[in-house]
Amino acid sequence: MNFRQFAYRNVIRNRRIYAAFFMASVFSVMVFFLYSMLLFHPSIENRFLQEIALVGMGAAELILFIFTLFFLFYSMRAFLQARSKEFGILLHLGMEKRQLHRLIFIETLIIGVGAILAGTFLGYMFSKFFFMVVKEIVLLPALPLYLSWKPFALTVGAFLSLFIIISLSAPVFIRTGRVEELIRGEMADLGSHGFSTKRAIFGLALLGVSYWAAASTSNSIVIGLIFLLPPLATIGTYFFFTDSLPFLLHLFRRRKKFYWRHFWLLSVSEGVVRLKENARMFFIVTIVSTLAFMSVGILASLTSFASQYREMNPLGLVYHSLPGNQMEQRHVAELIEELKDKQLDYTLVRIPIIEQTSSFTENRVSILKLSNVNLLAQSFGYSKIDLSKGYAMFLPPSPSSYDFLKKRTVETTLMETDITIEIEGAYPFQVFPSSSGIGTNAIILNDSDFEKIIMQDIDPISVYYAFNIPDWQNTKEIGLQINRSFSESIITGTAQHLQYKFDNPGANYAIIRTTFSLLLFVGLLLAGVFFLAAGSFIYFRLYTSLERDRKQFDVLRRMGITDKEFKRIVNRQLIPQFFFPWGVAFVHSSFAFLSLQVIWDALAEISIVKELLLVLAGFTLMQVIYFYLIRWRYLAHIKASA
Amino acid sequence: MRWMTAQRIVELTEVTKIYEGKVMHRALNRLDFEAEEGEFVAIMGPSGSGKTTLLNLISTIDLPTYGKLVVNGIEPEALSQNELALFRRHNFGFVFQDINLLHMLTVEENIVLPLTLDGLPLHEMERRVKKISAQLHLKDILNRRPDELSGGQAQRTAIGRALIHQPKMILADEPTGNLDSKSAKDVLELLSHVNETERTTIIMVTHDPIAASYCDRVLFIKDGEFFNEIYKDERRQTFFQRILNVLSLLGGNVHDLRTL
Repeated sequence: MNFRQFAYRNVIRNRRIYAAFFMASVFSVMVFFLYSMLLFHPSIENRFLQEIALVGMGAAELILFIFTLFFLFYSMRAFLQARSKEFGILLHLGMEKRQLHRLIFIETLIIGVGAILAGTFLGYMFSKFFFMVVKEIVLLPALPLYLSWKPFALTVGAFLSLFIIISLSAPVFIRTGRVEELIRGEMADLGSHGFSTKRAIFGLALLGVSYWAAASTSNSIVIGLIFLLPPLATIGTYFFFTDSLPFLLHLFRRRKKFYWRHFWLLSVSEGVVRLKENARMFFIVTIVSTLAFMSVGILASLTSFASQYREMNPLGLVYHSLPGNQMEQRHVAELIEELKDKQLDYTLVRIPIIEQTSSFTENRVSILKLSNVNLLAQSFGYSKIDLSKGYAMFLPPSPSSYDFLKKRTVETTLMETDITIEIEGAYPFQVFPSSSGIGTNAIILNDSDFEKIIMQDIDPISVYYAFNIPDWQNTKEIGLQINRSFSESIITGTAQHLQYKFDNPGANYAIIRTTFSLLLFVGLLLAGVFFLAAGSFIYFRLYTSLERDRKQFDVLRRMGITDKEFKRIVNRQLIPQFFFPWGVAFVHSSFAFLSLQVIWDALAEISIVKELLLVLAGFTLMQVIYFYLIRWRYLAHIKASA
Repeated sequence: MRWMTAQRIVELTEVTKIYEGKVMHRALNRLDFEAEEGEFVAIMGPSGSGKTTLLNLISTIDLPTYGKLVVNGIEPEALSQNELALFRRHNFGFVFQDINLLHMLTVEENIVLPLTLDGLPLHEMERRVKKISAQLHLKDILNRRPDELSGGQAQRTAIGRALIHQPKMILADEPTGNLDSKSAKDVLELLSHVNETERTTIIMVTHDPIAASYCDRVLFIKDGEFFNEIYKDERRQTFFQRILNVLSLLGGNVHDLRTL
């Protein structure tokens, strides 16, 4: 048996230790490879999605890479610590340190290469499925499977260098101080409490302030808070785990009445030790989970965003022509032609808008003709509204203002033309977009009074072309020419001289939707990796202290602790480790959503509570399953020796 | 004679213990043994003679393969695992060679641990800790952690943990195995003091003839079978000498005399 064989057999025979580590590595490689496959996909090129895809996937790759690096460092250290006794014996038998380092280097590399091979292989196997999912979510055209060296090169290159870094630095983790110490195995220093009361209170205060600010935020300051709160909450979370929580537990330990009660003594004291060893890990898991919740929560709200968006933007296309617009006829003809080209059904209603001053408020009021509005309403299938001579109706600028306006009756005189009308109630249907540009102070006037105003040579201040297109999601190719000249004038700084406005909600929606779906997708996959890694961290930690825990279990068993009681003790030790970081992440993201809800409200009047609950429930379920899985393995390991 | 009138707390009749596995191993063979309430018994024998197996059977961690075992009036085989656990908890105190204090608990918490499991009222727990810690000279170190203790202090703490719930019987597996001679002497004197004042039965497995000389009786076993049994006499010195004589008969195994 030569040295390399020895290393190889070490890995194979330690496979139970390395299994979790290997699996997590394989999964990271696989996800990385899948991202790369999408990143280099030939049919994604030259599409408007490409930029978002590149940025999103690129960011995901980078996060994944950095995260995997930390993950591997951390788990490697845990494993080498667990095997310190074995290394001690090897050194005792006269192995040189140099040889030991080489042994570890070769072992790590074997695992690394294995993980890379398995990961890319699985990744390639799953890429067709992955593309199908992407297509479904992101609404891309079907992505064919392709074979290119690029994704392979990126994945293998990235991870090979990563594993080499780990292999080279792994020996640092074994404390090669004294052989005897290695054989006895090391224990964390458990002496002092290791927290500072000042930092503990500082951490709690930071979190308190962040929560309070997030909960009481208003529209005007929310943008500022978006930049201020995350760093505050992050620092607060860090101190919360390193100081505040030990501090609180310390307070609890003084209350013997509760602390000395049944299993609390064992579980809380064990919890303190674990917390001390893992505070930083808990912090990372919390922050990462918060991010995952947030991205997933935002994205899950998309479905309700779609229907709400449609309600807010019932029209397929809107062309608003202001006086002096020479392009009016040409643009409208262009749009009609493009719609016919794409075989999209549409109803076009031309709505001239005039303006008068109301004697009641002395404000300018925009006036629409009833028959025009009725025409548009009929294309949506709404019923006709009748107004007799001398009557008008408010046109509510948003659904929320309808409730207020529908009970209002105002008698006013249109000052320029001296026509007296009674404005009674509000128009009940939403046929115009929320921010239609018609103005917040608009009324619908009966036809005969409207004609009377026109007779007096009052020119319309604008003409509103409303296109009702039932198939509104497929309009993203319409009006590109108008959009282009619009953007050009923005670039040349002549936008304020433009005599028209053009709006294509369908295209806007497609962009918003694609961006969000892609983020969702990236977020979900990243959350998956983090999720797996967070659970694995806990498992590795448990594994490192297995020897000590076994001994403890033996003492307790002799002392007369029943299996059921032992399970309860383990539960009390494991549940906080699993669910506490997630719990904090839940609270964090709930408060974040509370403030984000303000933005949502402003953007479009939608609520994301339902979606959020669904996401949180899903994550909790996954975590519960993972908890039971790991507890099962842990209990089996603990009892194996006893 | 005293043992005729006293209550028997442990009674083994022709007990055989066989460990099944890749290699079958007969750890005890048709062994008879009994101990009375309030007795302080040492079990001696060479390595692999079955001392620890015997202790494990008495402490109901293991069940005999054949034969009858009665501990404190019950037959462990008749009870479920859960009932056995509770039985151990209420009747036994354990002292180990490697002490096995729970490292994350303070001295006080280690001592009080068995009581917390049964949910005693706090003032009762505090009263008992106070009493025990005075008895064992642990008052000044109650808030220390196990890694801040000397070997003797740690073993005294472990004895405190074994005594706090006032068990019927203390089972000790080489309690002085890792201690220096001064601490060992303290621990043994402590155990025999407890035995005399509280009438707690103590069964102790040991390699050390000095430790055995503190007992009322020494049982010698070899290869899982009864070898000899001797009772203490007026002077510890002569008892010690007789123990040495039996040990040398046991096979003259120098290894077993190493602690001398």
